Amino acid sequence: MTIRIAAVLLLFAALAAAPAFVPPFEVRVLSLFCFWGALSLAWSILGGFAGYWSFGHTVFIGVGAFVPGLIVARLLDGGGAELMPLMVLAGGLVSAAFAAVIAWPLLRLRGIYFAIAMLGVAQVTGELSAAIEWIGGGIGLSLPDAAPAALAPEAFYHYVFVGLLALTVGVAAWVRGARFGQGLLAIREDEDTARMLAVPTEGYKIAALVLSAFLTGLLGATYGFSLGYITTDSVFRTDFSLNMIVHALLGGIGTVAGPLLGAAVMVVLTQVVLGEMLNLHLFATGALVVAMVLLAPQGLLGLWRRRARRGADGRPRP
Amino acid sequence: MIPLLQTLLDGLVLGGVYAFAAVGFSLIFGVLGVVNLTHGVFVVLGAYGALLLHEVVGLDPILGLPLVMAALFALGYLYQRTLIAAAVERASLVASLLVTFGVALMARNLLQVVASPDVRSIATAYSFAGLSLGPLRVDLVRAAGLLTSLVLLSGLALLLGRTAFGRAIRATAQQPVGAALSGVNVRHVHGLTFGLGAAFAGASGAVIGMMLPFTPGSEAAWTLNAFVVVTLGGVGSPQGALLGGLLLGVIATLTAQYVGPAFQNAAMFLVLVLMLLLRPQGLLGHAFAASR
Amino acid sequence: MSAPPVLEVRGLTKRFRGLVALDGVDFAVPEGAICGLIGPNGAGKSTLFNLVTGFLPPSEGEIRFRGAPVTGWSPQQAGRSGIARAFQIARPFPGLTVRQNVRIGALFGRSGPRDVEGATDSALALLGIEDLADRPAEGLTVGHLRRLEVARALAARPLLLLADEPCAGLNPAETDAMIAALRRIRDGGVTIWLVEHDMRAVMGVCDRILVIAAGRAIAEGTPGEVAADPAVIAAYLGAAEESRGA
Repeated sequence: MTIRIAAVLLLFAALAAAPAFVPPFEVRVLSLFCFWGALSLAWSILGGFAGYWSFGHTVFIGVGAFVPGLIVARLLDGGGAELMPLMVLAGGLVSAAFAAVIAWPLLRLRGIYFAIAMLGVAQVTGELSAAIEWIGGGIGLSLPDAAPAALAPEAFYHYVFVGLLALTVGVAAWVRGARFGQGLLAIREDEDTARMLAVPTEGYKIAALVLSAFLTGLLGATYGFSLGYITTDSVFRTDFSLNMIVHALLGGIGTVAGPLLGAAVMVVLTQVVLGEMLNLHLFATGALVVAMVLLAPQGLLGLWRRRARRGADGRPRP
Repeated sequence: MIPLLQTLLDGLVLGGVYAFAAVGFSLIFGVLGVVNLTHGVFVVLGAYGALLLHEVVGLDPILGLPLVMAALFALGYLYQRTLIAAAVERASLVASLLVTFGVALMARNLLQVVASPDVRSIATAYSFAGLSLGPLRVDLVRAAGLLTSLVLLSGLALLLGRTAFGRAIRATAQQPVGAALSGVNVRHVHGLTFGLGAAFAGASGAVIGMMLPFTPGSEAAWTLNAFVVVTLGGVGSPQGALLGGLLLGVIATLTAQYVGPAFQNAAMFLVLVLMLLLRPQGLLGHAFAASR
Repeated sequence: MSAPPVLEVRGLTKRFRGLVALDGVDFAVPEGAICGLIGPNGAGKSTLFNLVTGFLPPSEGEIRFRGAPVTGWSPQQAGRSGIARAFQIARPFPGLTVRQNVRIGALFGRSGPRDVEGATDSALALLGIEDLADRPAEGLTVGHLRRLEVARALAARPLLLLADEPCAGLNPAETDAMIAALRRIRDGGVTIWLVEHDMRAVMGVCDRILVIAAGRAIAEGTPGEVAADPAVIAAYLGAAEESRGA
């Protein structure tokens, strides 16, 4: 346990120190890792722990990003850079409130029906954000540059994403160990039996979705600021929804470390290895999903654990 | 009154094609339990196939249907016997959802590279001709598309209801173990069903190609459409697909006409969620659920 | 004898679209007893348990738990109040280990999050599966699955344990072990009501037995009284003949 905590502290120390030592491109790659790791972990609170796979989590990124966009455009006349922390918080809170509203009908659906319904929520919310003139997602909204003068923008947003990753890891680790998290696992495994064991299934599912949406909303709002200009197409993105699932699946679903590992592998793969082949990103992601499901359904962590167990007793497990 | 009637007629025509485009998804979902997120790719492949035949050989999309269907049938059969069967055996039905999602992304990407991401459509000699029914008007291509859809849907209903092959499919869907014990080669039937589903998706794509513009990215919309149609009408039967498709078509055109084209999907989705909450088995229920 | 029974049902009736699954059943489970519920297949035994645990609302009648009316409560309320249920088809959480399974039972049980590890350990020990604690539930033998099912229910520190055929599919040695475990559970202060097909098990362990057939209570009493009851013999013989005819 102490080794694990030490490893986590070391990871965050290295991430925080990075802008001082590595060139801007690598800082951006590390920021992307923080962004994706945190997103995938936020998704996991509902998808990995409770087994309710949302195929439309990008809706919370979109809502989270549009809240500051609208505040800036409609209330602050394009300014208000110094209010960024409050606006990011507002993005998270509105996202959570939105989740609370859709939770009641949607969480009565199970399995693929929930997955597809979330896909629909994301599709429709995105379309509405473009179609409704007051929101203006079709043309887009600008966000002020919130980086202080002393810091390069990529370093500033890197620090913010590191902080959000730390927050998400903390929340997810707490959930995993708490009674709440055990209840979510019971729901994932067998919801009817969980009810019989007096797990407050309805409340827990709603809480998991709202918590997940809150964290995703914070990340979405920050992402919006880092882009500087948001449109429906840049924040309501099906590939965002997909990536959250793929990272968790790749690393190991239902764990805290899994989504981070998955995000690390995917970011290195897409940014560094495939950096030159932008037009084949989708193909590579798709192929990876297929390969993972067929070859390592328990994710990389599962592979590693199986190998470790084999090593321990010297023979393969039945 | 006339504009409303015209809108309803347009909706029904569109709905017939939606039904046609969804029936393969419905069949695969009903018989194998697999939610095939590659479905839209089959539809789009059918459209590109018809486009190719039309541009290279000059073959009319409707006359080219047998070729498109044969190609998609073979593709669907192989796809099921290899990837889908492996995913279901090694992991679960949810795993098959992911595998089909992954393959859809790969296919979309490949199509974008091979056929370009540009918007395409198939322009036939009769593309701009129309039929008049009193004060109402239907484009000739749409009428031809609807007719083709209805003929093939009826054919599928007969195939499922009246033939030995149809009996084998129904038996496999209801009691896979029982069917296997009584000599049905369940794997083969699953493959054939998947092939049949793909062939119908491809055929609908050829028809859609004449009526609506398409891109490689259209696959996502056609998969979602199929899901909505099946949720509305019920799983596994051409009748359910027809009912769901007609409903969806009418909802889509009414919304586009009276609320705004941007709200089509929102309205469809609202109906979908209501349906899932009130009657999750769809209006006609699950065609094979009797003994499950 | 002034203490109210742990569980009492009066006039309990359940109709499914006109089909009467349970018809005016009365029964009381006294505190500290092991009671039995027997009857031919389709008699309504599972329906009765489903009504008591809140999985189904009754059409008519009343359920009292420790003297208080609880008719129409939810499974969660039943669980929190102290009713635990071991299902006929064991339903452990397959992806979790034996200990994790039992721990979830303890976490959401009557004593809440207090002394979770203690409740978990004692339930594992009582059923004799502490050696399997770190094994995944997936892949256990039927005998171990049943013990896990009962251990998880027990970890909630219930007042009343409803056990749905805890001995089904067990060999004679395993059945004896299960019966011994049920006795130990009762001696630890948990009242038990069990459905069981294994007559040897039922007759040996139960203090009182309720016999139902076609939704009606046809007999009630000690194992000796029930075994000698002509209505019971007729119901079982009739059922045997029907199944032979079918």
